[in-house]
Amino acid sequence: MASRKDDTPREATAKGPSGPRSGPSHLGKQAMLPFITRRTLGAAVTLLIIAAVTFFLFFAVPADPARLACGKVCPPDLLEQARHNLGLDQPLFAQFVAWLAGIFVGRDYESLGHCPAPCLGYSFVNREPVFETILDRLPVTVSLTIGAAVVFLVFGLATGIVAALRQGKPLDKIASVASLIGASVQIYFIGTLALYFLVYQNQILQRPQYLPFTENPIAWASGLALPWVVLAIIFTANYTRMTRSTMVEQLSEDYVRTARAKGMSGRSVVMRFALRGTLTPIITIFGVDLGTLIGGAIITETTFGLQGLGRLSIKAVWDSDLPLLMGTVLVAAGAIVFFNIVVDVLYAFIDPRVRLS
Amino acid sequence: MSTPFLSVRDLTVDFHTEDGVVHAVDGLSFDVEKGTTLGIVGESGSGKSVTNLTVLGLHNPETSTISGEIRLDGEELIGASRSTMEKLRGNKVAMIFQDPLTSLSPYHTIGKQISEVYRKHTGASRAEARARAIEMLTRVGIPQPKTRVDDYPHQFSGGMRQRAMIAMALVCDPDLLIADEPTTALDVTVQAQILDLLKDLQDQMGTSIILITHDLGVVANTAHEVLVMYAGRAVERGSVKEVLREPRHPYTWGLLASMPRLSAPVDVQLRPVRGTPPSLINVPTGCPFHPRCDFMEVAGPELCRSERPELSPHRGHGDACYLTLAQKREIHK
Amino acid sequence: MKVRTRSAMAVLAIGALALTSACAQGNQGAPAAPSGSAGASAPAVEPYKAPTITVGTAEDSKGPAIEPEGVVKGGTVTMIDRDDFSHLDPGQLYVNTETNFSLLIARTLTGYKRTDKSEYKLVGDLATDTGTPSDGGKTWTFTLKDGVKWEDGTPITSEDVKWSMERTFASFITQGPTYIQQWLTDVDHKKAYQGPYDGKRLDSIETPDDKTIVYKFKTPHADANYAFAMGGYGIVPKAKDTKEKYDKAPVSSGPYIIKNHVVDKSIDLERNPNWDAATDPIRGAYPDKWRLEFGQEPLQITDRLMADTGPDQTAFTFYATVPPERLQQVLGDPALAPRLMKSPSPYGNYYYFNLDRMKDQKVRQAINYAWPSKQIQQTMGGPAAAALPTTILNENTTVGYQPYDLFGKTTKPEGDIEKAKALLAESGNPTPTIVYAYNQTPVQEQITVVIKSALEKAGIKVVAKPLDRKTYYDSIGLVKNEFDLYWGGWGADWPSGSTVMPVIFGPIADGAPNYSHLKDEALTKKMNEIIAMTDIDAQNAAWMALDKEIQETITPAVIAENRIANTLHGSKIGGAEIDPQSWVVQPNRIFVKQ
Repeated sequence: MASRKDDTPREATAKGPSGPRSGPSHLGKQAMLPFITRRTLGAAVTLLIIAAVTFFLFFAVPADPARLACGKVCPPDLLEQARHNLGLDQPLFAQFVAWLAGIFVGRDYESLGHCPAPCLGYSFVNREPVFETILDRLPVTVSLTIGAAVVFLVFGLATGIVAALRQGKPLDKIASVASLIGASVQIYFIGTLALYFLVYQNQILQRPQYLPFTENPIAWASGLALPWVVLAIIFTANYTRMTRSTMVEQLSEDYVRTARAKGMSGRSVVMRFALRGTLTPIITIFGVDLGTLIGGAIITETTFGLQGLGRLSIKAVWDSDLPLLMGTVLVAAGAIVFFNIVVDVLYAFIDPRVRLS
Repeated sequence: MSTPFLSVRDLTVDFHTEDGVVHAVDGLSFDVEKGTTLGIVGESGSGKSVTNLTVLGLHNPETSTISGEIRLDGEELIGASRSTMEKLRGNKVAMIFQDPLTSLSPYHTIGKQISEVYRKHTGASRAEARARAIEMLTRVGIPQPKTRVDDYPHQFSGGMRQRAMIAMALVCDPDLLIADEPTTALDVTVQAQILDLLKDLQDQMGTSIILITHDLGVVANTAHEVLVMYAGRAVERGSVKEVLREPRHPYTWGLLASMPRLSAPVDVQLRPVRGTPPSLINVPTGCPFHPRCDFMEVAGPELCRSERPELSPHRGHGDACYLTLAQKREIHK
Repeated sequence: MKVRTRSAMAVLAIGALALTSACAQGNQGAPAAPSGSAGASAPAVEPYKAPTITVGTAEDSKGPAIEPEGVVKGGTVTMIDRDDFSHLDPGQLYVNTETNFSLLIARTLTGYKRTDKSEYKLVGDLATDTGTPSDGGKTWTFTLKDGVKWEDGTPITSEDVKWSMERTFASFITQGPTYIQQWLTDVDHKKAYQGPYDGKRLDSIETPDDKTIVYKFKTPHADANYAFAMGGYGIVPKAKDTKEKYDKAPVSSGPYIIKNHVVDKSIDLERNPNWDAATDPIRGAYPDKWRLEFGQEPLQITDRLMADTGPDQTAFTFYATVPPERLQQVLGDPALAPRLMKSPSPYGNYYYFNLDRMKDQKVRQAINYAWPSKQIQQTMGGPAAAALPTTILNENTTVGYQPYDLFGKTTKPEGDIEKAKALLAESGNPTPTIVYAYNQTPVQEQITVVIKSALEKAGIKVVAKPLDRKTYYDSIGLVKNEFDLYWGGWGADWPSGSTVMPVIFGPIADGAPNYSHLKDEALTKKMNEIIAMTDIDAQNAAWMALDKEIQETITPAVIAENRIANTLHGSKIGGAEIDPQSWVVQPNRIFVKQ
């Protein structure tokens, strides 16, 4: 308690912007802008390092993409030609610089012409522009992720809250057991089972497919319903446990007791007071999960035959397709870094103490 | 005599834990008259806070058993419906807590936290509630209240936070204010300010106050009546004058001896009460204080160990000890 | 002229890992069935009949194709697979799935016409017949059929055919076959000629008129008419050649036109109004529309085809084979039998001895005798999933195939330990230690255990050396590798030993497919003589005889197990068959039942 003996009036120093309508967002913006700028710069450096490491690691492995781009019968002159066509005859560093420059100013290719910025190059295998390929796949992965995230976040929070409010009751125990089971199963296991029984054998659900949201939202949702549910089964567990334990902690917080002592209704105490504090750790894992999922739900996409970033990255690895590999790694890393920043910004919105310190 | 404003009779609160049943309050009775302050004194775990949370009905009914009666202005609170209690809390009975930093929500502005109580109980509009919050902040002495109303608790100093807490507690003009160690977490100078504030507000508004503290000094300056609690029971009760001038219970003596006094010579050693507070799961038989009591031989060890002493006399200055009045006077010299 | 300097490993081997079902080559996806159970419970496996391939006449080369029984024209057929085709430009085609697909949109001078079950004839596709050799097999003359047209209705001319060959010399073409290019110019054919785009033409191809095209090779090639059937020699219109961009938007000479192609997702085909069935003896082209879907794993494809509901009833797959986890279920379900297609791999698979290290032929023979073929077969899923060949040349891709069994594989498929011990006793070292390198996949791990335990029974100590799967071929491709025994494969490009023997026993270099490092002057001389033979039948017989002779006198390899593809199709699909040569379901005879 001794540490709280600070009664020096702070009016002089801590004068926030005044006015009746100065809400949190207004307060936030002032500190937020330099924060976001700083974090974005940091992210750019991180991504550059990741790109460089990926690039040079690629060449550390003896698999030769030129050989794959050269037929079954591949004499040395043909191999040399293939190497030249892919730009692999340039010095490594020059290749990397060219790749990097392409992102900002575009690139010109001998055979394929100009690739406008942001240019991530052309696939070694099918000579498609990598940037466009990724743009084409991104909506699939994003839809998969967002839909699943909504489901597992809502269910995770709901079951976690209920479990916390019914500590030790059957409902709490069921939630604990269910979350344990959920956490221990694998997507390719329940995904395949679900496909087999719900789709192929009984046609209860539609075969997973991606249809653009903009064309038909209902078809979009029903096409992705199964993967969402399966992903949710696996992810919800973590959120249930986390919500439950944090909620239990929050419910014993002094300010929650104060709220009740003020005559706030039980519901408002839970939703407005206790939940607020519970959100912080939830947002943290949510950010990580979102980043990881966008970066590539490899197993999910493979299991359900969806053409997203995850499968694209697997293909890139299998085919030693360097430009595609660099592109998918960049997007995956970018997603993780981006959601980290978003989480930090969200912290500030949830907790004014973070915002102003 | 008229019915007291708050009347607690034979209050028993048991908590069911994994280790066993905790007898937090065991047959406690006391009254609070309108416009007066009752100081409840005791060590941690003596049941002071539990008693008062019981008045507000803040215990989880699934893990606690409560019996006895609590009458507020003639209305029975034990067994009252949830909505009755919600209407009562923050409105007729308000409470302020020991640590204003943890007791205020870090996620909401001070103004919001004050005005929501007001809106809840009066149905006032957002603007009215905000004006009321500013008014209350002014009354508790927050400088520039129009600005500070939009601050968050962590932007306030400790004393200001407690003032804000008080503003929040008093926003609906409660009849009874329960202040649970309101100054413990504060600087000594600030403590005095806060206590003065409470006194002033009481004078203005006629609020009854229950002041929970472990500090007899605080009681001496603020309270009219005193209740000394030990192991969930009242061991001594009386007016401030009576209890502080002529304390009768060995535990009260111990408390007083462990308290520094400005009037005493500097080199006089403080004597804390020996031993540790008893377990509330296995409360000692007889007088629960007997394992720590220096005067058991005088009072009669058999009796002290086997039979629980009752508070006597029923009214006025009473205590729960087998020592005779004469013995008490002799010892306390 | 020899096919030389094939330094890189086959697409069939590397590319196959990722791209095609030929990945069965490396036993990547081979089933891990509980041994013992497979053969017992499965219905009796009917003996496999390898295809008979003969050369057809001009009459055989006339259209239309022979119709399958109960054929229905019209409807939409769906094809489901994992990967899209990396290339559509005929000049870039080598992978079996890609050449198979190109049957629908591109024609070649010659091609294979199915005349009956397991019977095929090499016939003229664009050409009126399979060509006329002259000058001792050095000159080949073809005449184009009347009425063959591009999708825009312009006639296909000899100039187009010549152009199609010339453009494969250009620098952007790196993936297709190079046999004919080398025959026309030199081994380093890209140095000899750089393509027609700068105006220079190739003198060794002559077009005396719009219908006639003459190829003049430097050396005789009695089997050139087979080479022209390769999908990589499909034609490209001179007038609409967009160089590297042609790969994205090819012009059709076949029965269908690509209406829509969403890379890695789908291809929609519709009829080419300018294709005339009367000119085409090979392609039936019965459905009106084709819908190709990509992005499904073999497991999902199998599950969909097993369920056989709704639109999946009219679906099939080019190359998604039944994966190990469904194999026993599929084989054991009689209801699926009419929809199950089977075919053993057309590739040669070998456990090569590194002759630089394994110098004692007696030891090599002993290993051949001790080889636990049957046990490995069980590990791979039983007789329904793997065949046990005994020859270097594959029966599916060898005209005039003659079986022989030198090491008792047929009689004692579980291995003859006694015989092996006896041979070891005769050798210089009765208890040798060998280093066996293998591709580190779960199935290969299991197979390695089987091999190890069998050879150790014969007294051979086996040091197993796992290799990373991505660099497996690079590791075993090093001439100075530290291994004694390792698996490798090679596929024939047309049904002749000419595309196998001179390659796997050809030049020794890092990355070259002569993994056993067999260097024998007499053998090289003999192979050159066979290649130069002008009588194709005599040539084929000579290859077959050499096959046996090599195993007898040198024993450079243990002939490896051969995976059998098991593939399902929907109940409303007719005419579907796995092509024994390309090992994928060929599209020519497919129709949609009503």
